[in-house]
Amino acid sequence: MTVTVTSRREFLSRAGGVFAAIALGAEAATAQGTPASSESMPGMNGQVRPVRLPAKPDAKPVVTPEERDALEHRLHCQCGTCTLDVYTCRTTDFTCAVSPAMHRDVLALVEGGHSAQEIIDAFAATYGERVLMAPKRSNILAWFTPGVAVLVGGGAIAMLLRRWKAEKQSHALAGPLHDVDATSDELARLDAAVRGDDRP
Amino acid sequence: MILIGELSLWVALLMAAWSMTVSYAGGASRRLDLVDSGVRGLYATFAMVLLASIGLWTALLSRDFSLEYVAGHISASMPSAYVFTAFWSGQAGSMLFWALILSMYGTIAIATSRARNQELVPWATGTLSAILLFFIATTVFKANPFIRLPFTPLDGRGMNPQLQNPGMAFHPPNLYLGYVATAIPFAFAIAALFAKRLDAEWLGVVRRWALLSWFFLTIGIVLGMWWAYVELGWGGYWAWDPVENSSFLPWLTTTAFLHSIMIQEKRGMLRKWNVVLVVVSFLLAIFGTFITRSGVIESVHSFAQSPVGPWFATFFVLSTGISIYLVGIRLRDLEAKAELESMVSREAAFLYNNLVLCGIAFAVLWGTVFPLLSEWAGKSKITVGPPFFNAVNIPLGLLLLALTGIGPLIAWRKASVSNLRRQFAMPAWTGVAVGVALFAAGMRNVSALIAYVLCGFVAGTIIQEFYKGIRARQAIHGESVITGFVHLVARNRRRYGGYIVHAGIVMLFAAFAGLAFRSEHDISLKAGESFTTNDPYGHSWRFVSQGVSFYNRVDRDVVAVGLEAFRDGKRLGIITSEKRQYVDAQRNPLFNPITEVGIRTTSKLDTYIVLAGIRDREVAELRVTFNPLVVWVWAGGVLMVIGGVIVMWPQAERRRQQGGYAAVMPPAQPADELPVPV
Repeated sequence: MTVTVTSRREFLSRAGGVFAAIALGAEAATAQGTPASSESMPGMNGQVRPVRLPAKPDAKPVVTPEERDALEHRLHCQCGTCTLDVYTCRTTDFTCAVSPAMHRDVLALVEGGHSAQEIIDAFAATYGERVLMAPKRSNILAWFTPGVAVLVGGGAIAMLLRRWKAEKQSHALAGPLHDVDATSDELARLDAAVRGDDRP
Repeated sequence: MILIGELSLWVALLMAAWSMTVSYAGGASRRLDLVDSGVRGLYATFAMVLLASIGLWTALLSRDFSLEYVAGHISASMPSAYVFTAFWSGQAGSMLFWALILSMYGTIAIATSRARNQELVPWATGTLSAILLFFIATTVFKANPFIRLPFTPLDGRGMNPQLQNPGMAFHPPNLYLGYVATAIPFAFAIAALFAKRLDAEWLGVVRRWALLSWFFLTIGIVLGMWWAYVELGWGGYWAWDPVENSSFLPWLTTTAFLHSIMIQEKRGMLRKWNVVLVVVSFLLAIFGTFITRSGVIESVHSFAQSPVGPWFATFFVLSTGISIYLVGIRLRDLEAKAELESMVSREAAFLYNNLVLCGIAFAVLWGTVFPLLSEWAGKSKITVGPPFFNAVNIPLGLLLLALTGIGPLIAWRKASVSNLRRQFAMPAWTGVAVGVALFAAGMRNVSALIAYVLCGFVAGTIIQEFYKGIRARQAIHGESVITGFVHLVARNRRRYGGYIVHAGIVMLFAAFAGLAFRSEHDISLKAGESFTTNDPYGHSWRFVSQGVSFYNRVDRDVVAVGLEAFRDGKRLGIITSEKRQYVDAQRNPLFNPITEVGIRTTSKLDTYIVLAGIRDREVAELRVTFNPLVVWVWAGGVLMVIGGVIVMWPQAERRRQQGGYAAVMPPAQPADELPVPV
């Protein structure tokens, strides 16, 4: 027995008709991304939807292959089982049929002369925000909460330190705190020695 | 033996319930007989859980396929080593494993601190038994590894071949050992809240166990990274997957705790905060197990999904609620006098270290649960992946790296200007020199440059600390550099062990910054065709395909492709990548096909080749990735573990250094920097 290895791409082109049917079915599904069809082809889970934009007049690709790979790193494979981006998934896992299908849509959009941002937006419009590997910048709650938390924590620490310092000063004003058998001059020298002030 | 194991599990359940009840009752009524009975109950629980575990191991090693767990996780042909590790590879076994470690830890912790912590023992025993009760109950009722099948199959299902890897054999138990160790400080923190006592003994117990937890979490996390890198084939070692994140969270808070506890030791300050960190670390460990075991958040670790989710959710909510309540009503009792001499002091630096570590923990937690929160809030489903975590954590990580260098340079209590100038000069110049050298070499990536400047700075700090220490020993004891180094570390293990851990951190950050220069190529090659490209260092690489080969092994069907690699025209050898489909005795496929990555490692660069697929039986679809400096991730991990061992190595009582002003004070050095003559 030999290994039955089929390229995902070949598999897809052979299954083109099935794919179109599923894609149409998927389009009818809700925007919330419920699985579209239980009769999807293996590995597809009915998750692929066509992302199409009319080609621009005199379309010339404005996205370089490197930029295209970079933009595919920003798109989440929709197979529902992996957590990878489209580029990584399609170049790693040959059982996934979803990421190559999404890749073909990207290629078509690049050929149609669309910019990277336009392509990303088109995917987001079709699949919803979940197709992006990170929330949009406009999602203030997602992006700014950690920063705000750190700032609040920093403020709290600054206040705490200030209070501690005030406490120290009030003790210092009230005279020597510790029942140490030493004169204040000796204590000052001790302090200086500990800090290393008396070094040349 | 298997039957004994099964019955022991039930006895353990009763024992844990008994121990919890009488311990709390004994603590509340101050009845010593009850307390003793509770402690003995905990020991007995350990014995029973151990018997149950031996029962399961017996079943596995004797390949008793009548047990569902055995049939579901091993096969007759599997190597015995992986049969042994199959104990924790599934849901039910890992719950039992949790209970085993926890009861063992609990027994050791209570037995060793019983004499000195009389007031805390009943409460700590009760809390440990309560946690044990939960895990044993979950095992018995929801994930029992002793459930029998209605028939005995001839062979088992076997283990996912991706898990049959040495990394995977050690990664989960280390993580469990780390996760579970957070329960001991937690139990003692709860005990302290009940008993309204936090003394030096408490500090000792909690610190030791937190350190142990940190140590195992570090090993577990690094092994997990290594496994993901060599086995999964997506080209990286960290994907900010929810399960990865949930192991990282308690690591962060425990790291914060191990720093802030030094302030409590030296100055008696931050007691409340330390209690909070201990409690949070445990809750995050439970949260992590919950995430791993419930599959509540979409994750590649889906092989671990199961019905224990609701139990864990309930336990998590319950322990969080009780902790918040106790902390709320009792925290005031732990109030201690706190004063600060200067904003520029080690104390303040530690506080900012804590802020950054907790900030990272919060950011990671936030990113991990945000998709859930968003969905619950009725908003659209969203994904929070690496771009988010990287964007948020890179600035915080760099800040942390900077503090790693700054902290050790600032004196306790109050740093004077001359002290700062003297201490910072060498490290700062080291950092600047590194930056200038890299810029001159053509590096223009700003984040990476900042990272390497900071790495240089922290490395300068560490070297300076060792240099001063060794110089002092040379001056006082006339030792050679090597003897001085060994004695320096041996005499003050916590401090210099800590610096070794910091050195590991520097290596990790240097390796992380290397990712900025990673490059990937998506190529298709027939036999004899070649692909030429440049690596991030500017070397020219040529890969010549040796063609696709198909062959079968006893347990798998394989497709392989070899690439002959040349760098700058010089032949380096053949790098092979495979796709494997594991099969059963009838050659039916088992599990999904997996990738065997071809990796060529040097200290500067990993060349990482993945066979993604085959077209027309002759064209190999490949991804070639140049991953700079990856080997330094593993080296940094090893160094951190070595540092951890040094810090944990028991030190004889008499040698323990007294902190702060208690140190010896000759004129030449700040006391803080001097080794204490023994």
